[in-house]
Amino acid sequence: MMGKSITISGVFIYLRLVQESFRDRSKLWWIVLGVILGGTIALVASLIILAARSNSGLGIPVVVGTILFGVSMLVVGLFRTLLIRKGTFSPRMGTLFLVGVTCILGVITIPVSIFILPAGWFDLWTVFVMGGVAIGIILLFLYSRYSWLKERGSPGFLTITGFLMVLSIIYMTVISYWIVPYDPAAINVGPILWPPHPGFPLGTTSLGQDLLSRTIAGGGIMLQVAFLSVLICFFVGVPLGLLSSFRGGALDRVLSLIMDAIFAFPGLILAIAIAAMLGPGVINMALAIAVVYIPSYFRVLRSQVLTIKELPYVEAAKALGARDRDTMLRYVLPNSLPSIIVVMSINFADAVLTAAGLTFVGLGLPIDVADWGWDLTFGWHQLITGAWWVITFPGIMIVLLALGFTLVGEGLNEILTPMLKE
Amino acid sequence: MPTLLEIHNLSIEYKTRLGTARAVDNVSITLDENKTLGLAGESGCGKSTLGRSIIRLVPYPGRILEGEILLNLDEDVPYENGVVEKGQINLLQLDGDQMRALRGKKLAYIFQDPMTSLNPMERIGKHFVEIIKAHEPDTPKEDAQVRTKDLLEALDILPERVLDYPHQFSGGMRQRVMIGLGLTLTPQLLIADEPTTSLDVIVEAQILNLISDLKDKFNLTMMLITHNLGVLAETADSIAIMYTGRIMEVAPTEALFESPQHPYTQALLQSVPDVRKPDRKLSWIPGSPPSLTEPIPGCMFRPRCPHAMEICATEPPPLMKSTSGGIVACYLYEGS
Repeated sequence: MMGKSITISGVFIYLRLVQESFRDRSKLWWIVLGVILGGTIALVASLIILAARSNSGLGIPVVVGTILFGVSMLVVGLFRTLLIRKGTFSPRMGTLFLVGVTCILGVITIPVSIFILPAGWFDLWTVFVMGGVAIGIILLFLYSRYSWLKERGSPGFLTITGFLMVLSIIYMTVISYWIVPYDPAAINVGPILWPPHPGFPLGTTSLGQDLLSRTIAGGGIMLQVAFLSVLICFFVGVPLGLLSSFRGGALDRVLSLIMDAIFAFPGLILAIAIAAMLGPGVINMALAIAVVYIPSYFRVLRSQVLTIKELPYVEAAKALGARDRDTMLRYVLPNSLPSIIVVMSINFADAVLTAAGLTFVGLGLPIDVADWGWDLTFGWHQLITGAWWVITFPGIMIVLLALGFTLVGEGLNEILTPMLKE
Repeated sequence: MPTLLEIHNLSIEYKTRLGTARAVDNVSITLDENKTLGLAGESGCGKSTLGRSIIRLVPYPGRILEGEILLNLDEDVPYENGVVEKGQINLLQLDGDQMRALRGKKLAYIFQDPMTSLNPMERIGKHFVEIIKAHEPDTPKEDAQVRTKDLLEALDILPERVLDYPHQFSGGMRQRVMIGLGLTLTPQLLIADEPTTSLDVIVEAQILNLISDLKDKFNLTMMLITHNLGVLAETADSIAIMYTGRIMEVAPTEALFESPQHPYTQALLQSVPDVRKPDRKLSWIPGSPPSLTEPIPGCMFRPRCPHAMEICATEPPPLMKSTSGGIVACYLYEGS
């Protein structure tokens, strides 16, 4: 059935409104999506509430503060929509307005954090701002469901679901320092290997660490590694791919050969080899993962550029006297970026899993850092004794984080390349 | 009448796996200032290649073998490392930077497909500002924007639409934008490569009217490449007929339609319907053009020509003065 489809303007040229896809999905699909999203947010919220209520000092003020920050962002967002509808602002001015007010909010928070905690105000303030922005974005998403995604049918909802999952985990990680009941790395804070009970809501590990604190704080390293590796991949893979396919010739052949050689290795094995060579550390892990993923950026961009550089508008630009540099940066690059965005979001999910894998085989971080990967390693041994909780909670968090990134990737993929569906 | 463009003995080859194809074979043509030359012929006869060779963007694997393309520049054109001096210059001897300075500034080219000739990621106004900035880097942005709005007004497009993206325009509007882009810097020569082929007849008429208006307004010299003789009848001052990479006949428009000289031109005109003679049966030219990779000796039209003679099989006919006031490449008119 060919339904109504409309092309939409904006940054992504291939965006298309596909209304019939609402009906394409089965009821079960919607239920599963709803359960995943609701479950993640409920889980994260209950973890935060559990932690903030226990002996965590500043826990409740921090949570309340970030939520207040987020709500004020939402109010500004509503105001912005109103002003744009009235015609006072153009959409671009409206976005600037939102960013500006957020900055002002950030400045206002400085005296508040100095008032609460004069000694460590800077740490508190960064948490206020970062957590507040995360909450604010979540609220804005929930309120407006960012119409530009909503109008795109089920792929849009897929993307929003993924974004919300990732954002809620990011929020939890950002505020973790202030809400955890115990130092996540400290050993012997409680009895060894206790199942969940009121004192330690998620139980304790074999080293006597509080599992609730470790579950809340353990995502930090993984997120850092994922973001760093994606950044490295982007800033290495994209320029190489662009230059290589635009110039062609010997450069292209040599680079393609190198990239194909890297691509021929199994990803995780190569990452393990590089991580073993570089030694432990966040940056080294990110580098190891980046090396594995640069070829996929390179190849995707190269094939896109090969198509786009032959298109009439590139030729028209040349006929009107454009330099090679201009055609490359203003014509070819922006038109090939949508596919790279999809690769990026899938790369995020893979980076999370690879980071967990690296820690699991013992090539990740020093053992005293709170990390989900370590809990998996230890929990795996203790599962035999019936201690299911050590591996379960960190495992669920890794799965949810990876699933969130994957959903974003899948959704964007369907939105940006509608040809896939036809 | 001063001449603007002279092409002497130009030959262009495409090296393909099937052999070497001569897309343009020893072509000489002159173009007077403020005149429109129509270049007509069937698909694959080399008319687009000839047009592309003037801006030196013959698509790969084409190569300009020999010849001269002389352009009469009316002012010095500065480029990064110096100045292209005014007067007659041979375009084939310029280097990449010099050639780039002339493209868009003195030579403009309009492509066939308006739907894909604009960058989908950039606003319409940005296209204009970009071309102005590329050739006159010192122009303030505000001036460029004012010029853009004036141009759009001349093209019957609301100036407010500079902020729109190309896909928000219809095909005809996009082609008008392309024409506007070509005319932004008031070039001396506008080469239009089938500018109306992908548009419907009504839009085609609008575009042709616009082109002839702009031609007077901007003092343009034009080269109009098309396979539609009706379009040329309306707009061109003289018409050149091409066949298998060679010029067959050049004549003033009226003379070409009234008394076509070359057998190919005659056959071509008989295959166009005429509203004044609804009873006339349309004729066609038997056979198909010879392969460019395996050229036949002598006149390339010989196998399909009703007047073929012995001499046609040995030597390609040179261009001779015809009785209609143009030139024609056919032995029928030898000595007349």
